Amino acid sequence: MSLSFKWIVPAALAAAGLSGTAMPAFAETNLTVAIVGEPDTLDPMVSTKDVVSIVTQHFIETLYTFDASWDVAPLLATTLPKISADGTLYTIELRQGITFHDGSTMDSADVVASLNRWLTVATRGKSVASKIVSVTATGPYTIEIQLSEPYAPLLSLLAFSNSAAAVYPEEILGADTLTAVVGTGPYEVIAHVPDQYIQVGRFAGYVPRDEEPSGSAGRRAALADEIRFVPVPDANTRVEGLLSGQYDYADALPAESLARVTANTVAEPVILAPFGWPVWALNHKAGLMTNADIRRAVQAALPIDDMLYAAFGDDNFFMVDGPMYPEGWVWRNDAGVENYNQNSPAKAAEYLKAGGYDGTPLRILTSHQYEFHFKMAEVAKVALEAAGFKVQLDVVDWATLGQQRNDPALWDIYISHSPFLPEPALTDLYASTSRLGWSEPGKDAVWDKFTTTTDLAERQALFADLQRANFEDVGFIKIGGFNALMGQKTGLQGVTPSPWPNFWNATYQ
Amino acid sequence: MAAASALAEEPGFTRALLARRSVLAALCVFLLILAAVLLATWIAPADPAAMAVRQRLSPPGTGYLLGSDPYGRDVFSRLLFAGRVSLTVGAGVAMIASVGGILIGLVAGYFPRLDAPASRIIDAMMAFPDILLAIALVAILGGSIANVIIALSIVYTPRIARTVRASTLVIRELPYVEAARALGSSTPFILIQHILRNILSPIIVQATFIFAYAMLAEAGLSFLGVGIDPSTPSWGTMINEGRQYVDQAPFLIFFPGIAIAASVLCLQLIGDGLRDALDPRIARQL
Amino acid sequence: MTRYILKRLVGMLVVVLIVLTIAFVIVRLAPGDPAALLLGPDATPEDAAELREKLGLNSPILVQYMAFLGNAVRGDLGNSLFFNRPVTEVLLARAEPTTFLALFSLLISLVIAVPIGIYAAYRRGSWLDQSAVSTAMLAASVPSFWTGLMFQRYLATEMGWFPASDYGGPDADFISRMGYLVLPSIVLGIVNSALILRFTRASMLDILGEDFVRTARSKGMSERRVVLRHALKNAAIPIITIIGLTFANLVSGAVVTERVFNLPGMGNLVVNAVLRRDYPVIQGTLIVVAVLYVLINLMVDLVYLLVDKRVRY
Repeated sequence: MSLSFKWIVPAALAAAGLSGTAMPAFAETNLTVAIVGEPDTLDPMVSTKDVVSIVTQHFIETLYTFDASWDVAPLLATTLPKISADGTLYTIELRQGITFHDGSTMDSADVVASLNRWLTVATRGKSVASKIVSVTATGPYTIEIQLSEPYAPLLSLLAFSNSAAAVYPEEILGADTLTAVVGTGPYEVIAHVPDQYIQVGRFAGYVPRDEEPSGSAGRRAALADEIRFVPVPDANTRVEGLLSGQYDYADALPAESLARVTANTVAEPVILAPFGWPVWALNHKAGLMTNADIRRAVQAALPIDDMLYAAFGDDNFFMVDGPMYPEGWVWRNDAGVENYNQNSPAKAAEYLKAGGYDGTPLRILTSHQYEFHFKMAEVAKVALEAAGFKVQLDVVDWATLGQQRNDPALWDIYISHSPFLPEPALTDLYASTSRLGWSEPGKDAVWDKFTTTTDLAERQALFADLQRANFEDVGFIKIGGFNALMGQKTGLQGVTPSPWPNFWNATYQ
Repeated sequence: MAAASALAEEPGFTRALLARRSVLAALCVFLLILAAVLLATWIAPADPAAMAVRQRLSPPGTGYLLGSDPYGRDVFSRLLFAGRVSLTVGAGVAMIASVGGILIGLVAGYFPRLDAPASRIIDAMMAFPDILLAIALVAILGGSIANVIIALSIVYTPRIARTVRASTLVIRELPYVEAARALGSSTPFILIQHILRNILSPIIVQATFIFAYAMLAEAGLSFLGVGIDPSTPSWGTMINEGRQYVDQAPFLIFFPGIAIAASVLCLQLIGDGLRDALDPRIARQL
Repeated sequence: MTRYILKRLVGMLVVVLIVLTIAFVIVRLAPGDPAALLLGPDATPEDAAELREKLGLNSPILVQYMAFLGNAVRGDLGNSLFFNRPVTEVLLARAEPTTFLALFSLLISLVIAVPIGIYAAYRRGSWLDQSAVSTAMLAASVPSFWTGLMFQRYLATEMGWFPASDYGGPDADFISRMGYLVLPSIVLGIVNSALILRFTRASMLDILGEDFVRTARSKGMSERRVVLRHALKNAAIPIITIIGLTFANLVSGAVVTERVFNLPGMGNLVVNAVLRRDYPVIQGTLIVVAVLYVLINLMVDLVYLLVDKRVRY
């Protein structure tokens, strides 16, 4: 508040409205959250964008969710499901007395209708649809999912807020696009002004769970009266707005702003370590990357340290780390990592010779929407050229990249990134059915076994095989690990760092 | 610069142009920038593409004359090579827009039948604000140097065409043109010998300003993320790239900013000087 | 005079038709598949094909053109692919910040530049004239986003005198929203005043060179009275012209300024639309802005008629 008095008169008036957000003394608490862009939809079922998940999880809920240690925890279901001995029948008990924002009560009919829509319209839903025989209501608050064979990632898919198995009232379903956003969450949508804000307010009919909050699981207390999600596409503007006290929370800040955010008394940094991994996805369907030796040449040539250092600019924001999962995760293993970060133009040149490389340009598709993608490409280009590659950097915008990568004729490598997902099978790059089309008999067998096995120890061993196969056959290249910087107003509590931070337990002391 | 020699025929032109110290200074500075940029290959202390990632963002003077960028590349060397791109965009647009504008303007001004349609198209093109139209065009064509030049030429051609048309309309009716027509001179001859020669000076003045505006517009497009792709350094893309380091390394924005502002300022001063030198009435009042 | 106005109106309609055609052509040539974009990165090509069909992106170009013209005449600029709402509605929702940003900066630049411009012409060659002209030229040479970034950084974030960005959120009433426009308007106003100052000065110099001014002067009237009596009155017309002229300048400036300050105006909308491959919105913005430009210049011409009896058509 003190800041706003320094603004000139009309601006001070303007500030009065916003500064309420910072004042715990006010009866009303509103939080303003700067997000990276306008969510193109408020239906998390049809989108895989992180920004959609961040916003919609406040008003749309799923049967399950993830707790702080990324274990699946119940949300709209009472407990974890009863799974039959052969792993093909899931019996799910639903919580009673749950009210949708339109006032109707949630029952098994709503859940069955929602799951069926998920299996038809959601990308992740469609990926399991072939394995699902039926979803049926066996009582007003009980449903059953019958699978044709065991499928280990199912619960994680049901818990994921991204391409989410969201629960809607049966009545609003039917059309491909929802006309209204009606969920069961602790907040309901008050207003959505595109490119300006999404305003959500506490839902009076919400009944929180009893468990202690942990990640997205447990009690959702809806402490703030309202949350406003403001799309701010420019990272610098997010920093400036955070430091001038306009935002209570700002997502995805450049690592370079850490010193400023730390030095300031208005805001404090929130570091999510680790956030995820940049990936170079290789085209196995057509072009240069169908040749395994040339793929190995790329893997051998990459100067991982320099790429990550240029991309993130601060040793505290990246890890030169080969395994698919960071230290402390159940999926962590060392299989095949000797192939990581070879940084050897000589070895790459040998592979190129073995692969009969004829000087065809290597087409790397990237964007500058995510600046670190571009920076990695810019550094790698020099090293690849030193190894003997001809490199063609195709810089397009992120949206165009999303389209072009679906056409195998247009690229050899595209650059992307992913958060560390709790279940490896949520990453579809391993599957031969993905757009990469990475198919190799040994790997394919391991993958099939991995998705149908349910025993953790057995799956860990299988995942090690998968990781080794990825290093040896070079399906795709994990560049390393990186941390994310976010910022919050000094004194804000109750927000757990996450790729999809939630604000229902956020408050000022 | 054949046009310049035509201009110099006017008595006292050079003296009028150089009479103002500011114009003289602008010419000198601009020529200096031009020379530095053209001789970049020899002047630049480093390969503008050579990276030393661990030395990134070194401040000016610490082994790098003007510091190093986020990849540890030499800012001074990049500034010189980037100048080629920025000046090429400016000069290219000024030239293409002048040629296009002269063609369209002469046709519209000289042939009454074609005047109405050509003028309406010029009017319609001028109704689109420059950056807005350029954004739409670059978005379609894609962000390369050639495409930025094409897009900005499309934006500025109607502006020159309008000037040319207006002057042509006046000159067409002058007695000596009538006489030439009566004597059976061919139309192309009249257009070039009698009309173009006489309207060259305002075109050169306008082209100088368009040179400047095109450089600014290129920087603006790069800033909005719809300009030349960032692996080719231009002063605009350098500023855009340096934006996120405004705290640690303000020099990344500072030097290319100065380069743009200095070049644009010089061009505007030269343009003003040219105009005043070519317009005796105003010059006399100074 | 009525005939002149009618002729101008017909000419204007033709220009508007050409504007529509240009906007249509530009946007249809764009690459990038809006259907794939709408569906997100994980969409299959089949999904995209299905959506393209639904959105009418597959019909022949001429059919699309005729349909487009017919709709545009009725004020229907199509639906935004991204927002799934009529473009006119999307544009109207963005009109307020852009309109007031343009108005405020025009006001700021007129207040700064017109008096200085007139005075500079009146004292041509003086120290004041020279410094005014050079300052204006300098202001016109510095990229406006640079000025915007510096002001935002130092005046808003460091000093806390202004809000750094945004437009107030759901609680802000009209006056508070205008508070968010103060700094952006100053930035844009400074850039724009450079143009106005030079234009005013040049027009004033022209008028001071006119015969009737010389006559007045030769009659022994003091220079001060010459300026106040004759020149100022006649300078009204060029100054009206400025408003028409700088409109395009202001809109272009607004695109960049709105981006720097994250204002939810039409400029920001169109840059986002390019990134989103939202053809109808790019097209709609081009059309609305161009038609406004044509209308404003028509009005300027008509005001000429009223103000200056000497203009005959």
